[in-house]
Amino acid sequence: MVLIIGKGGVGKTTVAAGLAAAEAKRRGKAALVEFGDGEAGRRALGTKHREVDHVVLEPQSAITRLGGAVVGSDLLARAVLENFAISRFLGAAPAVRELAMLENVRAVSAERPDRRVFVDMPATGHGVAWLRVPAQMRTLLGSGPLFDVTDRLCRELVAPGRVSIVLCTLPEHLVILETLELWQAMTREVGLSPSRLVINRFPPDLSPEAVALARRASERAEGEARAALDTLVVTLEARAAAWAEASAVQDRAARETGVPPLVLPQLPVDADASAAASWLAGALP
Amino acid sequence: MTERRPRVIVCAGGGGVGKTTVSAAMALASARAGVPTLVVTVDPARRLADALGITIDSEVRQIDVEPSAGDRLYALMPDPKRAVRLCLDYVFEGESAARDRVLENSLYLALEDSIAGVHELMSVVLIERAVATLPLGCVIVDTAPSRYALDFVSYPGRLATLLEGRAMAWLSGLAARLVTGPASAQGILAWGRRRIERVVSAALGPRVIGDFAAIFADLSHVRKRFSAITRKAEALLLGPSSRFVLVAAPTGAARADLNHLARRVHQLGRATSAVVLNRADVGPPAWVEHVLASDPTPPLVDAVRIIEVERAARTGAANAASAAFARRWPGVPQVRLPAIAAASPREIVQRLADALAPSLGTLVG
Repeated sequence: MVLIIGKGGVGKTTVAAGLAAAEAKRRGKAALVEFGDGEAGRRALGTKHREVDHVVLEPQSAITRLGGAVVGSDLLARAVLENFAISRFLGAAPAVRELAMLENVRAVSAERPDRRVFVDMPATGHGVAWLRVPAQMRTLLGSGPLFDVTDRLCRELVAPGRVSIVLCTLPEHLVILETLELWQAMTREVGLSPSRLVINRFPPDLSPEAVALARRASERAEGEARAALDTLVVTLEARAAAWAEASAVQDRAARETGVPPLVLPQLPVDADASAAASWLAGALP
Repeated sequence: MTERRPRVIVCAGGGGVGKTTVSAAMALASARAGVPTLVVTVDPARRLADALGITIDSEVRQIDVEPSAGDRLYALMPDPKRAVRLCLDYVFEGESAARDRVLENSLYLALEDSIAGVHELMSVVLIERAVATLPLGCVIVDTAPSRYALDFVSYPGRLATLLEGRAMAWLSGLAARLVTGPASAQGILAWGRRRIERVVSAALGPRVIGDFAAIFADLSHVRKRFSAITRKAEALLLGPSSRFVLVAAPTGAARADLNHLARRVHQLGRATSAVVLNRADVGPPAWVEHVLASDPTPPLVDAVRIIEVERAARTGAANAASAAFARRWPGVPQVRLPAIAAASPREIVQRLADALAPSLGTLVG
């Protein structure tokens, strides 16, 4: 099982679909798990990757399935969950959804022993919180059927050797700072060391001498041409700064994690799974 | 006496569309126009916080971006790690014994930190508190970058329903009964209820049930106050003075998120008041033509061409997204903002505020 984790907007879906497509290309099959309505995964996979089993987990049915695992019967679980007080409680209680999603991920993977499962984890500011839920609940409960479910999650999902973690990030100083903190926290707080870092939207390096050339041209120009060239200078400077920042981030990530990060280029439009697969092929363990 | 209510703009959008920057720019434009404005970033963004001099610490602070905003611009970036504690202090004001018991409850300790729903609820409570204490004319709420971001708008209401209704009474009763033994009522309904109680009790175990009972008992001290706060928060976000602005960028993912969020707004019984398409230049900027006419050296021509190819791809994608959205949701105003190349995030916010000034009435009016 491979969990793809990162903040919102860093391109987790592209990376998850790309990894699944690369695995399918190599081994003939793979599974991609997505939370929500499945639209993002379908778009990233396109129509080409039929050998990728695309599993969509929707919160409400995930909770019913967790209930079934706890009480031993889906029917009884549904009766309990439809109880007016319980359903209101679940509507407001934290952590239930997280636990339900993780139990469903475990079940999806257990049902597909022949495939590697890639999970596009929900966007969260604190990726570690999700993975801490089973251990927290296990300590809290002490015994009983819900304890058994959390205990199994601790042994079969949030356990070294069972799951690899790929962290996605962006090539910006402050974002990588948070990602490196997350990398450390994963090891310290859940006992899982991430295996790879993927830096998405790495900006292109426009001709390095362009900024200097534009500056010189602007000094010689007059009127409208000069104003236009000044705007070009600012634009090129901003892009050169973004590229320099991205390169520094890449070096820092390699130094602090001890693993060279994988880099996906910035594109004016979305990358599809095939393109991402070709960039990410080296990432598969 | 009627309560003064600021206009509340809930901004939602998928990740990576520049929603936080656009929200900050809207707030700056509103403050420039003379309206005391608060921008709330639910998901803390360090880059922008640094650029605008905002501290991520659950306190509302006045920020000083530029003189023309005067002293009218405020920001709040709740720290997920501290918001819970702050919020408990607020809800349990004057009930410190009950608060301290909750703080030591193992159920609370297990759930306290960093569970998504908790942080978002706390953010809403902090917004409610800010509105009660500051003379604000406009509040811009930058939601988490997610398709589910709008769930948090209805969260206070769900919590209030739990606190006010029979559900809470039943759950506290359940917790108490499971500790003291079952009730002896007869009849099929009572039988069904006992059976559910047995299942719940077996699933959770006696310790957790005991913790639940204790939390519910302490919550009952502040139940009225807590539910009043959550109802006020609900009125703020879903009442007649709130507006929903969706932010998108010219990518396939953002376009799909936009449609999904517009459906969610519709399901909440509200209408999307405007869509902002960020990085969606309508055509080539004027400077491109002037540069190419100035007989530039080949490396400069190449650089300009690359910038132009990217811009044209964005414009094409933005045109398609704009047309598709207009077909599906006719009558919703769309505001297009250009991509801005600038050295600092602060400058980007300022220039976006310039660009959206003509549409300010559409966005926050």
